[in-house]
Amino acid sequence: MRRKFGTVLAALTAVTLGLAACSTVGEDGETTEPTGTSSATEGGEEPAAGPFTIGVSNGFVGSEYRTQMIQDIEEAAAPYQEEGLLEDLVLENADTDVNGQIQQVRNLINSGVDAIIINPNSGTALDAVFQEAADQDILVFAIDQAVESESVINVGIDQAAWARTSAEWLAEQVGEGGNVVVVNGISGHPANEARWNAAKEALEAGGVNILTTVDGGWDQTTGQQQMTTLLSTYPEIDGVWTQDGMAQGVLQALIEAGKQNDVIVSGEARGGFMRLWEEHGLDSVAVVNPPGTGATALHFAMGMLQGQTIKDDALTDGHNVVLELEPTITNENFDEVWAEHKDKPDTYVLDSILSKDEVGQMLE
Amino acid sequence: MTVRTDAGDALRRLTTTHLPSWMPWLLLLVAVALSATLRDNFFSQYSISSTFATFVPLVLVAVGQAIVIIGGGLDLSIGAVAALSSVVAITVMGGDDGRVLLGVLAALATGMACGAVNGLIVAGLRLQPLITTFATASVFGGVTLWVLPTPGGRVPGMITGTFRLAIVGIPVTVWLVLLVAAAWFLLKRTRLMRHIYAMGGDPAAAYASLVPVRRSQALSYVLAGAFAGLAGLAILANSGSGDPFIGGAMALDSVAAVVIGGIALRGGIGSPLGAIGGAMVLSLASSILFFVGVPSTYRPLAEGLVVIAALALSALSDRRKT
Repeated sequence: MRRKFGTVLAALTAVTLGLAACSTVGEDGETTEPTGTSSATEGGEEPAAGPFTIGVSNGFVGSEYRTQMIQDIEEAAAPYQEEGLLEDLVLENADTDVNGQIQQVRNLINSGVDAIIINPNSGTALDAVFQEAADQDILVFAIDQAVESESVINVGIDQAAWARTSAEWLAEQVGEGGNVVVVNGISGHPANEARWNAAKEALEAGGVNILTTVDGGWDQTTGQQQMTTLLSTYPEIDGVWTQDGMAQGVLQALIEAGKQNDVIVSGEARGGFMRLWEEHGLDSVAVVNPPGTGATALHFAMGMLQGQTIKDDALTDGHNVVLELEPTITNENFDEVWAEHKDKPDTYVLDSILSKDEVGQMLE
Repeated sequence: MTVRTDAGDALRRLTTTHLPSWMPWLLLLVAVALSATLRDNFFSQYSISSTFATFVPLVLVAVGQAIVIIGGGLDLSIGAVAALSSVVAITVMGGDDGRVLLGVLAALATGMACGAVNGLIVAGLRLQPLITTFATASVFGGVTLWVLPTPGGRVPGMITGTFRLAIVGIPVTVWLVLLVAAAWFLLKRTRLMRHIYAMGGDPAAAYASLVPVRRSQALSYVLAGAFAGLAGLAILANSGSGDPFIGGAMALDSVAAVVIGGIALRGGIGSPLGAIGGAMVLSLASSILFFVGVPSTYRPLAEGLVVIAALALSALSDRRKT
């Protein structure tokens, strides 16, 4: 036992001495500076001519939003593939935690992609693996939810502004002293926090009385169950603030209780909710949270892989491309918007994708 | 009556059977060969370093799980313990290189404390390990959210940096897996480990031979907790930041690794070294499925089939013997 211990100690010492011989791991053993956003394909290297490979990492499946997001990316990729500029679109699309998503990104790096489009499960816990990608000159675009890592380009809407719009509308409707309950997504999830911080501020500024907040897990069924419980607990509810992916469930609960015209719900820009909105003649609001940001990011990726860079005035904080919100849907413009999307299924999420040319105007 | 006996037999066979000890290494060889044919850069330094980086957390919890299972128990909270250890460590370190040692100690202490809770309930109160650790997993998950309600914090550069170094040409992550194996060689010589084997093999006989059964059982959970604490650190090194939701899937993966590693779920038989092999096979299997081009929607299904195949293999090889 003691002799064994001595052997291991000796081995450990040898390892420690060997530290003198250590190096950073990277392809060809060289360390590259993290690729800044505006100099991604610069740095002495000739812009490659392609064909390129783009990887997509998504760690949450089974929601209509994410399904549409992937479809949008595939559709946007098709013309590039026909043109011969894009060789392959590699999908890593599975329910997983951050650990699993780190492995997704490493799989993509190891399969030799030139750029990665990721809907991140965490705003910070993927930083280290993003650095691994940056060290190998792989462009990374985070969509739907922003990450802190500065080597990553965030492409998406301003989640805070998105939430503030519907919260301000709701505060106005229920008026000062109105009682509001809140059905949030997943506590601790960065997108949820960004939204709720902004919404809370807006509701409080409007003098609204927030009775309670619950989590609906961005799931219609859970949202409906939570709302049913809330209705039986709080008889005096004037309004509900909820996020997308749950508003239809919340509304169903109200319809079952016969309170759909007494309690005001902040809605969602999705087929199912808007159909009910029309049927029951509601007063509601919906702000589009486009699943198509992934497709928009694909256009950025293709442009930058061909040597272009993002114009400075299109960037916030050096690595954020903040996409403008679509006009808010209220009763004033409901008919006009709904006419365009009437024929879509209930699961359809109202979308907005920048075209190749629109993205091209932000590149130089 | 006969049906019940048959079912009982089948259950006993399923829980006592195990893969032969060389099986995980044969599977590993196959997995490496497959990976190498599928990926021409499989042996590049980044590929080896990143592949092993993915191994490390799972290898650590698999060894912990193996020790508990060899002792006749089960720890479904081991992933939650790793997550809790990671958030405690990141909170203690606060991104400061000078507090790395403190963070390591904090992670170890957290892991062992959680293990002690499991051990006291299972050995002291004699509650079912399955139910107990399933419940404590929720409790530890709750404490994790209390310590770190939202993802964030920065892991000291010393940890993330070292994790991505190579020493004499061999990535640190490879050294770490070797170190875990070396640690097991030390551990296996201890009286405690002998007691755990005896207890898992036949508790009554162990008790009759004056093995302190309850104490050994409790300590098997504490040991597993220590490994989970180290896994928490490996998670931090991988991610570079704290996340209270990380590691949830690790408990089941660790059980799968143990099964592939040739350890009998009934206890007493097998070696954590096999679990190390099992963990590597499992990780590689998932990336092989990616490189083969199995759509990721079907990958959990395929991973489940790999585990079932391992169980079936173990049952078959056992039947041949009898």
